Amino acid sequence: MPRRKTVGLLTAGLLALSGALAACGSSGGSAASSPKVLKVWWYEGNGSAYQIAWDQAIKDFEKQHPGVTVQFSLKSFNQMQQNASMILNSSDVPDVMEYNKGDATTGLLSKQGLLTDLTSEAATYGWDKLLSPGLQVTARYSPKGVMGSGDWYGVSDYAEYLTVYYNKDMFARYGIGVPTTMAELTAAMAKFARAGITPFANAGNDYMAMQYLYEMELSQSTPAQVQNYERYTGQVNFHDAAWTNAVNTFQDWISKGYIAKDSVGLTATQAGNDFETGKSPMLMSGSWWAGTFETEIKNFSWGTFLWPGNTLNAGSGGNLFVVPKNAANKQLAYDFINDTLQPDVEKLLANNGAVPISDSTAGVTNPLNVQLIQNFQTLAKSNGLAYYPDWPTPSFYNTLLAQTQDLMNGASGSQVLSALQSNYDQYVSSLG
Amino acid sequence: MSAVLTRRRPARGKLARHGLAKHRGPAAWLVLAALAVLTAAVLFPFALIALNAFKPPAQYSAHGPLSFPDGFSTGGVSTFWQTADFGRALWNSVLISGCVCVLAVLLSILNAYALGIGRVKGRTWILGAFLVANFLPQEGLVYPLYDMAKAAGLYDTPLAVIIIFTVIQGAFGTYLLSSVLSTFPPELLEAARMDGAGRARILWRVVVPVSMPTIGVLLVFFFIWTWNEFFLPLVFLVSNSNQTVPVALGTLQGQHIMNPLTTSGAALLGVFPTIIFFLIFQRTLTRGVTVGAVK
Repeated sequence: MPRRKTVGLLTAGLLALSGALAACGSSGGSAASSPKVLKVWWYEGNGSAYQIAWDQAIKDFEKQHPGVTVQFSLKSFNQMQQNASMILNSSDVPDVMEYNKGDATTGLLSKQGLLTDLTSEAATYGWDKLLSPGLQVTARYSPKGVMGSGDWYGVSDYAEYLTVYYNKDMFARYGIGVPTTMAELTAAMAKFARAGITPFANAGNDYMAMQYLYEMELSQSTPAQVQNYERYTGQVNFHDAAWTNAVNTFQDWISKGYIAKDSVGLTATQAGNDFETGKSPMLMSGSWWAGTFETEIKNFSWGTFLWPGNTLNAGSGGNLFVVPKNAANKQLAYDFINDTLQPDVEKLLANNGAVPISDSTAGVTNPLNVQLIQNFQTLAKSNGLAYYPDWPTPSFYNTLLAQTQDLMNGASGSQVLSALQSNYDQYVSSLG
Repeated sequence: MSAVLTRRRPARGKLARHGLAKHRGPAAWLVLAALAVLTAAVLFPFALIALNAFKPPAQYSAHGPLSFPDGFSTGGVSTFWQTADFGRALWNSVLISGCVCVLAVLLSILNAYALGIGRVKGRTWILGAFLVANFLPQEGLVYPLYDMAKAAGLYDTPLAVIIIFTVIQGAFGTYLLSSVLSTFPPELLEAARMDGAGRARILWRVVVPVSMPTIGVLLVFFFIWTWNEFFLPLVFLVSNSNQTVPVALGTLQGQHIMNPLTTSGAALLGVFPTIIFFLIFQRTLTRGVTVGAVK
């Protein structure tokens, strides 16, 4: 008997709870933004350069707008990738939020009419002059949602690109200088491999392996081919010389041990750790690692250099701040975006290992960061930014991930290229 | 009425176990060794998470995830607690899982009473239809549910998630409990009827107490399943103040980089409540069961 009473009590208690919950559920929705609140969302983690810099933008904004409070929420990247269109279709939207650049993300939302057109603001605030043409590509989208032309739907205050991180201590120990040509890099890799060291850290189960492949492809590609690939301006043939060279080189490096075959199952975090612990003297990955390495690597000195021999290099403007169509305080949102582009915020980005959009390195104290910014400017000024390999179709990331893994496991290069071709063609023909 | 239930099963079990211990041959030892290895394999990831959750960051970057910590740092756990507002998430998860497990069990009992004991016509088909709720991938359900929640003004409220999971879990509960109740001893029902009990009375005084073992298991499972749900809460609970534990864990996974130490701390915090719940309720419920059954 007493047992049954306990269960009964428990039931009653939980039912009462759910009743109370129903009551607060109905009141929760009405707390939508009053004119004195600016709702800001982003998904860059605590301690990242972006969070540090954008916190400053919030402070600046609140100083300029007395009486307005900024209500900031840290969202998860996953949540925004999976649900952005559902969230933006509801009344529960932020006034300004970070969102991924690219056709499958911001392009898609702009096509669905869920974002505010920022073209006239870009002119009045002068964003169209602050962002160089290369960086504007990811800010503007055509009515079909294709980047590179049309109206402004977002603004980025930073940039990112792929670069080689190298362990200076290990390079010195083996008497290797910074490679400036592919031949020098190959010689360096051979030397490390002979000493039983895997030269490049890699993660096959994450974005890294496909980025190696893409850099190899870019070494023989042309700007026109990049435009065709990313913006559907012409035919893309995956069996051309550049892609064929890429798969062959990639497999050659695997067989010579320049990239470990068993990295096929690793994640980016593990590959990053392989570089941090000194297991591999090099890692080719995004500039987003710089801040992490600066705080975490204490045992050796390191530096960066651009992928040798390439005039084209993966990179683009960073994630965008966008203003949802249903935002309650658009004018305040524009002011906030403008605050993220000011010199004090840019300086914080630069000093914490991110790449600001401005080319000024004045006041940047860490030489690593100066080098990071200068390398980016080299690319930007020579129109060398080639975006990222997974952008063309919404499912291309998964396709590339699976195909590069097959490649690492010894699948035939031409089969891999055919798989890429069919996924790519399927999507492009669905665009109409 | 308790003829079936007063058989002295525990004593028989004891006897059997005793006999086994005497003749523990090499096969039994082999099984024991295999189980020990299996247990170690199951516990290893947890141990690794626990190690990394309290590892100093400098040591992790220098020696990687497998190194044994040379110091103790609560940085990972405390960073996560603050950034994710974990106390709040914990409360939301308890509330949602608690409501769902009780409501879904109630729903299952009522349905199963009709289907299992009431012998409704076409019950196999009805059960099949119920199971569709479990077979369909949640990605396929999400858009209709989203539109309904928005129309009802429940989008971004815990109530939406409670209703959805009550139905989904209730569907499985109905299926399971119906098959259990379809073998319910008819003598018991007949005896109760002869004593003048109505349908409601038979349900709450006879059927439910006797079926307590199954109901207890359902309750625990529903709680843990709902606790671990990620996709639908991610979609329906947009505001940070409504997030559940698995969704809060997701805030640590950045686009390119995540901090393994904070993630380990978070994983540890996230898995703890379910283990505690399981340990407490599994025992209470099993004991409650026997008391209820013998009456």
